[in-house]
Amino acid sequence: MSIPVGHYQYDRIDRDFLQARIAEFEGQVQRRLDGTLSEDEFKPLRLMNGLYLQLHAYMLRVAIPYGILDSRQLRKLGEIARRYDRDYGHFTTRQNIQFNWIRLEDTPAILRELAEVDMHAIQTSGNCIRNVTADEYAGAAADELVDPRVHAEILRQWSTLHPEFTFLPRKFKIAISGSPNDRVAARFHDIGILARPGEDGAPVFRIFVGGGLGRTPVIGQELFDSVREEHLLATLEAILRVYNAHGRRDNIYKARIKILVQAIGVEAYREAVEAELAQMDLERYRLTPEAVAAIQSRFAVPQLEAPADADAVLAQQRRDDPLFDRWVRSNTHVHRDPGHIIATISLKPAGGIPGDATSAQIARLADLADAYSFGEIRITHLQNVVLGHVRKDRLRDLWMGLAEVGLAEANIGLIGDIVACPGLDYCALANARSIPIAQKLGARFADTALQAEIGALRINISGCINACGHHHAGHIGLLGVDKRGEEFFQLTVGGRAENGAAIGTILGAALPEDETVDAIARLVDCYLGRRESGETFLDTLTRLGHEPFREAAYETV
Amino acid sequence: MKRPVRLEPGQKLVLTANRLLDGRTVWWCADGTWDLHIGRAALLDADEAEAVLARVVAEAQRDGVVGVYDTAVQAAVPPEPVTVREKIRAHGPTVHPEFAVETEQ
Ligand code: HEM
Ligand code: SF4
Repeated sequence: MSIPVGHYQYDRIDRDFLQARIAEFEGQVQRRLDGTLSEDEFKPLRLMNGLYLQLHAYMLRVAIPYGILDSRQLRKLGEIARRYDRDYGHFTTRQNIQFNWIRLEDTPAILRELAEVDMHAIQTSGNCIRNVTADEYAGAAADELVDPRVHAEILRQWSTLHPEFTFLPRKFKIAISGSPNDRVAARFHDIGILARPGEDGAPVFRIFVGGGLGRTPVIGQELFDSVREEHLLATLEAILRVYNAHGRRDNIYKARIKILVQAIGVEAYREAVEAELAQMDLERYRLTPEAVAAIQSRFAVPQLEAPADADAVLAQQRRDDPLFDRWVRSNTHVHRDPGHIIATISLKPAGGIPGDATSAQIARLADLADAYSFGEIRITHLQNVVLGHVRKDRLRDLWMGLAEVGLAEANIGLIGDIVACPGLDYCALANARSIPIAQKLGARFADTALQAEIGALRINISGCINACGHHHAGHIGLLGVDKRGEEFFQLTVGGRAENGAAIGTILGAALPEDETVDAIARLVDCYLGRRESGETFLDTLTRLGHEPFREAAYETV
Repeated sequence: MKRPVRLEPGQKLVLTANRLLDGRTVWWCADGTWDLHIGRAALLDADEAEAVLARVVAEAQRDGVVGVYDTAVQAAVPPEPVTVREKIRAHGPTVHPEFAVETEQ
């Protein structure tokens, strides 16, 4: 078998481990079914294997390390959706996939099928280091300084089953990017890492700690500006040790690293990390150039060859076909190779469910990845899919193939590209439904010409304060609240996860569900009526302040 | 500690849980079985619910259910849960009408 282009090639040790782990879980399921294990005893065991109990069924969360899959893996996910679920899967903001209708009895068989393609559900739940997320354009974008996948893989290996860090005070999320344009929400993670080349050419890492959303949204603070590659693992190990020793375990709402960093201050945290580093065996954690090269060699390099006129062919096709041109404008990004382009495939059809894909769509995506992008697929933290290396002269063929399965929506980064968590339609913790509001907004702004006219505008919806839909980071954020069994939505504006990260400001009292979509339409009208030439929603908001938007949202006719 | 149950006029309590094998939402029936359809659920008065709940919880493992609790319904035919959450548990996700519990056997 050839080495995959986008992700690391597993070896026998990884595979034996997965099989042993599945056999162990199979035994646990058996003991749960025969009553040897009580639900209280079993719950933490199933969660360690990614299995949740939701409102209507079990939900299985499958890890997609740094969001990258090969077509064989994607095809397998489609098969699992068809055989074991109700023919669809849900891609999440953590670059994972969730299946919503899983039977406990089937879970060991599903895990075996996943293991056939080197996939699993380990560390997708529980108070451990979760799946590390990375820039969805890694290794492809023209603006990238360092390809973060090799270090993401190093972090995956370091954090997987790390004996000291399987029972942290709380879950722990790490994101890494190597671009000056933050596409991973680095400052909303427990640890956010931005890589760039150092003076000697080897990468150095800027490290933020203590970011997070949820009940207490906090923007991560810079802990170190330039950690050298050889000290990356030692530094992360020290950060985790300080958290593990001092993070609160008495109160689940105060257990994340963000609360510890707030409580003692980032300077004190830095001193504690430096003290830890001073007494650690640095040699043990040293990341040598040889070790990095060994990991690098397990990633295949795509052979980027394109005809000399690829760019001209694309330009001509764009002139000939305005619909295609609109899609190219919103759904592509500049590749490092002039003959190639990055295509983002929207999983946000107007009126559809953000992040859901049917097994037929999943299978087609796998075929298109084989045909157009070296069999490689990325899942984005905004619930979309990326083909990283498409030849420019073949982009239109890809677009037509996507259209056949309803995946050619031209709305990336626009108002239709809504992020929404599962909400009360599935989630046992929810206060309100996220998906129906997303569907209504999607239908209201279905016209992609209107979306292009409105310009960059992100809407994020969470069904409760846990903030899985990143509502604090949305340019417009919606948070579902429960008022005596009824659904209400609190509106925030001005959040952003990109460079210049900010937490949205609450506009006012929560609105009843059936008034929410109109209120957002009025916010958008307010912006369209008052923007100056070239301004985005955030620009106009910054210039005018919140007051006009508050008035628009609460205006009653 | 169990919260005191306060029912409005016209309301009763039903017992609900998830099936251990497949996680599906089920409702407790007067004959001691569990059913996917809330229409078959036993309607309980507030003063009897506590004792029935305790008995049913004790038998949850034998009956193959997890997380038994009570919830208020309008005592119509079929009974309709009071909260949005329990309505969605009773009828299925609102975003997939084709999965409506009513159409299942
Ligand atoms: C449906 C089952 C789910 C459950 C039970 C669940 C539960 C939770 C909880 C309890 C938290 C808060 C953790 C804390 O602040 O300590 C959380 C955070 C989060 N969840 Fe979920 N979640 C679910 C689904 C999802 C989905 C589908 C996504 C992606 C669309 C997601 C993405 C996130 C993210 C990104 C956070 C981090 C927010 C932060 O930084 O605090 N979750 N989740
Ligand atoms: S934000 Fe709340 S409702 Fe939405 S998935 Fe997370 S826990 Fe569930």
